[in-house]
Amino acid sequence: MLAAMNSLDDDAGLMLRYRHGDAVAFATLYARYKGPLYRYLLRQVRNAAAAADLFQEVWSHLVAARARYEPRAKFATFLFSIAHNCAMDFFRRDAKSRHAIQGVDAEPQREAEVPEHERPDRVAEFGEQQSALLAAIASLPQEQREVFLLREETGLSVEEIARITDVPLETAKSRLRYAIRKLKKSLSAAQDIQALPLRTYA
Amino acid sequence: MLDELDEYLRGDSALSREYQRECVPPPHALDRQILKSAGSDSRKSQCLAPLAFAASVFLSVALVLAMLFGPQAAKKLDAAPHVVRVQYSSVRRTPTVWLADIAALRRAGRAAEADAEMRRFRSVYPKYVIPDDE
Repeated sequence: MLAAMNSLDDDAGLMLRYRHGDAVAFATLYARYKGPLYRYLLRQVRNAAAAADLFQEVWSHLVAARARYEPRAKFATFLFSIAHNCAMDFFRRDAKSRHAIQGVDAEPQREAEVPEHERPDRVAEFGEQQSALLAAIASLPQEQREVFLLREETGLSVEEIARITDVPLETAKSRLRYAIRKLKKSLSAAQDIQALPLRTYA
Repeated sequence: MLDELDEYLRGDSALSREYQRECVPPPHALDRQILKSAGSDSRKSQCLAPLAFAASVFLSVALVLAMLFGPQAAKKLDAAPHVVRVQYSSVRRTPTVWLADIAALRRAGRAAEADAEMRRFRSVYPKYVIPDDE
């Protein structure tokens, strides 16, 4: 989590400077947010290529929207609202392509029922270098995964996360509570396994 | 007593510490691409800003001049009589009204005009029976 994300005036000021053509202001904002935004997208869609595409898409939207930018909320809320919308579009496109596959060919239906970003080979590809925690995050339902990632990557309040994800505050709280409970459970299970003595075969 | 959500939201939980260790940066190729496109876009808009301003000033001045001195302004000056003329010629008077006008011309001593009007009246209403007093 970046401490800089809590400075509303600073980031909003940079964005306003960029709105007036200051490319250095954009570079500063980019340096602050590229890591959190990339990790949010990567861990949301769980596919490195799709995450890279979405990452570029989010920044392109930001560049295109700069003329209309008004600092009504934190810059992080503005940026991650764009990211949330891009991710949701990705999931919708993915679901559509699955339906299209099902319509064309009935044979691979079983495989097509699983979204591209949740296919075992894709998840495995994403999960090769990941820890027990990241594997547990990847296995969360998408809505719970998203609120947890937003909280960790932006440090925004639950109210702001509810605004980004366009759900009531209580829904966002409930999703976060479930996510934490499951992740804690998965972590302690993983730690128990690590604590087991290695069996040796002579 | 705090529930696990409140405890987590207070910050510095074991879960957050564990998560923050998993720090993956975006590929450098993306950095270059995005910074380049954002920079070129802002330079483009900076270059175009004075041009856009000049264009808007020019158009505003041209619009004001056109309103004051353009052909539309000239038309406006004679617009009213023109409209009246068209309306006047296009009005088809009823025989009663027309005959009353002719009678008024005669009363005013404008006999030649009254005769001309009567000829026009007859060309339009050849079979109209004119009362004796006309």
